Amino acid sequence: MKLLITVLIIIVSLNINAQRKAPNFKLENLDGKFVELKNFTGKGPLLISFWATWCKPCVEELEEYKKLYSDYKGNGFNIIAISTDDEKTVAKVKPFVKSKDYNFTILLDTNSEVARKYYVQNVPYTFLLDEKGNIVYSHLGYKKGDELQVKKKVETLLTSASDKTSD
Amino acid sequence: MHIKFFFFLLLNCFTSLLYAQDNFFPQLPDGLGLSNQLEYSYDYELKREIFENWFNLDYRYNIFSAGIRFDIFQPNDPNPAISRGKVIYADIAFKYIEAEIGDVEEGMKVTAGNFYSLFGRGLILKSYENRNIRIDNNLLGVKIEGYYAGLKLIALTGMAENFYAERKDILHAVDLEYKIVNDLKISGSFASNDPEEDVARTMIGSIRIQPSIWNFDFYGEYGLKRNNDVKKEKFKNAANNIGEAYYSAANFYYGALSLVGEYKYYDNFIFGSYDGTIIYNNPPAIRKEYTYALLNRHPSPLNQNNEKGFQVEANYSFASETFLTVSYGETKTLGSDSYYQKVLGVNQPVRLQLKESFIQLNHTWNENIKTIAAFGYSEERDANTKNITPILENYFYIDEINTIKLIIEHQHTTDKTTTEKYYTDVATLEYLRSPLLSISVVSEMQTKEPDPGKTIRRFWNFIQFGYTLGEHTNLILLIGTRQAGNICIGGVCRYEPEFSGIEIKMFTRF
Repeated sequence: MKLLITVLIIIVSLNINAQRKAPNFKLENLDGKFVELKNFTGKGPLLISFWATWCKPCVEELEEYKKLYSDYKGNGFNIIAISTDDEKTVAKVKPFVKSKDYNFTILLDTNSEVARKYYVQNVPYTFLLDEKGNIVYSHLGYKKGDELQVKKKVETLLTSASDKTSD
Repeated sequence: MHIKFFFFLLLNCFTSLLYAQDNFFPQLPDGLGLSNQLEYSYDYELKREIFENWFNLDYRYNIFSAGIRFDIFQPNDPNPAISRGKVIYADIAFKYIEAEIGDVEEGMKVTAGNFYSLFGRGLILKSYENRNIRIDNNLLGVKIEGYYAGLKLIALTGMAENFYAERKDILHAVDLEYKIVNDLKISGSFASNDPEEDVARTMIGSIRIQPSIWNFDFYGEYGLKRNNDVKKEKFKNAANNIGEAYYSAANFYYGALSLVGEYKYYDNFIFGSYDGTIIYNNPPAIRKEYTYALLNRHPSPLNQNNEKGFQVEANYSFASETFLTVSYGETKTLGSDSYYQKVLGVNQPVRLQLKESFIQLNHTWNENIKTIAAFGYSEERDANTKNITPILENYFYIDEINTIKLIIEHQHTTDKTTTEKYYTDVATLEYLRSPLLSISVVSEMQTKEPDPGKTIRRFWNFIQFGYTLGEHTNLILLIGTRQAGNICIGGVCRYEPEFSGIEIKMFTRF
């Protein structure tokens, strides 16, 4: 019976298809100021990355996103990296970010309120939003090369945005 | 039966990929979100199946949102601390409705139903879910959050589920935070439980301060606990307080260097329900979070009634290719003058609970090879062991999307009670192919030498496949044997028993 339920859940999960609007959220940045998602959308593609200081793949991934941000920030591309470090490790976030010189927005989700809204149970977890705030791509985990897919998607979003502008 | 199941599963994965553009289910309506997490395992040795499933459904429309989480366990985790004595469970374990008005500077959010909340760093209140360690102390009630002119207020009242799956104890709590200037925040928290039984309520409160000056940040929190019954019975009304705690953290960063120092003092500061089966607060454990299996093998769980200690950590980036982390921490029990010992009526000396030091160096040799070398030393009192753990991790980037990873961990353990020594070795070989596939082979060997010349070796081996399907589903399949061990997150641990069999984990979200 348990096996049957397992099989049924897997089949339904594999065959359903959906795209949803990114839930709005309000979080503190490293300077203690509140930042809201809706102030970031509507300007271009937005990448939201859930990460933590103790997570090695997250750190690898953020290094790649740092490069991506340098390449495309002039075109309207933006990144929000949401740290899911809880009260045990949140003290390490700001020093870590400063030593790594990340120049995109870092937000603190200490009790995983926003992570829950995005169904993030594990990190790293990446979401790519189009200009309208729709989630057009999401990815759990990081393997070298995953950033190439993200780069391709960002380029596609930027091209379609510039096509609309020229029309 | 299992062969048929895998064949069926493989066939479905294959067809789903082939016809990914023509899925027969409709797209979800706007505003609707759902996720499903499934864990299934079959232990060949114990002939035991465990099925666990968490299904979330949320709907958002303008300022309103609502959702449920439907949990199914059959049977639940064999650990009674997690199963709460239930063999079969299927119910809506979490439901809420929420309304949010205003903007980033001035606004309000009201939640009715189940919710989580954190005040400061958890000294007074931490209501949270962590599925990895099967903790969920959500509150059922009402929570109001308000933001106005630099003020942030959280006020809540709710009940958490106790060991017997009953919500009896009522918790009332409030947290007020005020940003005086951009670089200075002061806050205060207060919480009180209202037991159903005719006993005194426990009250707990704290004040905290968070200044930032130049490249220096500070966080300090001081808390007190009161209970009139304990005050009368244990202190003969001679003291107003029955518990005390403080926690502070200081950060400094300059260029590529960053330093973090933390200090804790938790004296009789567990804040829980009257029956003792719910804990509402969870302050920083000040223990290093490790990503390697063997470094978590001898954990030291947090005891917020009886510990003090510190941890310092330094990070330095020599260049973009080399990164160094060094940390050292100590945790000790409290002395005989502590509230904890007075309440228990004992007179124990201060003892070392945990001492841990860790150093890790990451170096990227070239675009194809990266090495991480780490070394850990720890002494902990619960199992009374001393552990020396060297680790070597190598990444071989074959091309832009293919990686081979090799991790070698060795741990030399001395049991300080029996003076027995034993060694544990773990080798992990992983192949990663972006963006879809990962295959890991993990082999563990434990070597014991109970008598001179006599060697006993035990082995555990498993293979794990990870596959991403259609950007929204992650599937993990594990086959083999796995050594028992602890999963510890921030001083809260869950013991995973030894396992021989198959395990499937699937996570889907939309």
